Amino acid sequence: MKTKLLILICIVTVSILHAQTNNPRSIGQNKFVVLGNAEATYTATKGESAFGDVNFKPIFLWKISDKLFAEAEIEIETGDGEADLGLEYANMCYMVNPYLILHAGRFLPKFGAYRGRMGEAFINRFAANPTGFGDGGIGAMNETGVGAEGGLPFGDIKINYDLYISNGPQLLTDPDNAGQFEYEAYTSNNKFSAVGGRIAILPFQNSSLEIGYSFQSKSKTGEVSTPYENVGVKMQALDINYFHNISGIKSTIRFIGELKHQKVDKATYKNAADEDFTFTDAPTSYYACATIRPSLADNKFLKNLELAGRYSFFNRPNDAPWGGSNVTQVEMALDYWLKWNCLAKFCYLKQKDNPSVFNAQFVFGF
Amino acid sequence: MKKSILISVLTIIVITVSSLLFNGCSVSKKVADKLGTQLWAENCARCHNAPAPGEFNNDNWEIVGMHMQVRANLTKTDVDKIIDFLKSANAQ
Repeated sequence: MKTKLLILICIVTVSILHAQTNNPRSIGQNKFVVLGNAEATYTATKGESAFGDVNFKPIFLWKISDKLFAEAEIEIETGDGEADLGLEYANMCYMVNPYLILHAGRFLPKFGAYRGRMGEAFINRFAANPTGFGDGGIGAMNETGVGAEGGLPFGDIKINYDLYISNGPQLLTDPDNAGQFEYEAYTSNNKFSAVGGRIAILPFQNSSLEIGYSFQSKSKTGEVSTPYENVGVKMQALDINYFHNISGIKSTIRFIGELKHQKVDKATYKNAADEDFTFTDAPTSYYACATIRPSLADNKFLKNLELAGRYSFFNRPNDAPWGGSNVTQVEMALDYWLKWNCLAKFCYLKQKDNPSVFNAQFVFGF
Repeated sequence: MKKSILISVLTIIVITVSSLLFNGCSVSKKVADKLGTQLWAENCARCHNAPAPGEFNNDNWEIVGMHMQVRANLTKTDVDKIIDFLKSANAQ
């Protein structure tokens, strides 16, 4: 791991030096930049408090030509007690025409709008994910495959579309996680593919409202030549995002929501005592969030403050080893924007049957 | 599953062919006349705060524009207008 980190640090350093020598009047076609963000979180709950979850996520972007583009993100996360290195995406894109992009590689599927977009640390107003939307949650997260996407304007409205074919999720069958999925696998566990996509409508000509519907289907998700090979899964998501500047109160308001549901075929698993068990595997999660920021105020301090509230719910299968009772969370956050992509978050999370949590998080985009 | 893959592939082909044939969508005059400034404010703010025009150099704005075309499904027409506006601030 140390060697990997050292190599990565060298790559990042060389890349940054290369990117910074790219002067505005350069004439080469191939252009490169490193962007990304760093995050640090402080967590306090009943009886314990600690600084942790320091993450560094450089994004490498290449404009190879007017038609060719490559993007890659590396994640170094420390939440599990050691530096964990991961490839979030490495996606090669071909701009066919103004309304169509074909892409291949490892990419963030547009399954809902949270993962890869509204959940990014410099966009998310909270330090934590809504319940059911982070690790241990449901829904597609990273995919390896090919896809087509774009935006199609018609009159005053716009339609955004994404379609992809990918390796898809892998069914987990060990006693603790039976019926859950590995959504971020780098390779496939069988020869079958998933098909997924998202279609969204922006009905207003100022693009202030977006309503999206996503799906993903994979008929066989289990390890090849096992009793689980034929277990299929279907996932769906609905998302909404609306923002509006209200001059009367000199503020920008935003409403974001998302609902995810997945249905897994019936299967019989083995528990730790090697006994058969089965359950209805159809979890659902959703969240609704509202924010207000006096961004039009004259006072510099006030205009950089933002208040946010979020309700999230995760309906887990009752009889699953990882299921049990539903999870409900209510979270409030007071954020201060230091720059358009740098902010300090102070969040208070109240959850049913668990102690409340205070999180402070600092995010610097670069 | 084979049927769903076939439908998806066909859909991709239909979108590809139709967009290549028409190579353009019919937008209202109000939308067509939008300036880069307006598109910048509207499209960036859909997900995040809009970065200030002086944030990056011209080369980097072009790269960021392509990244946003992929991440946020922006059309090339909108991206070009936005990037031209952002570059114009660097020229001042």
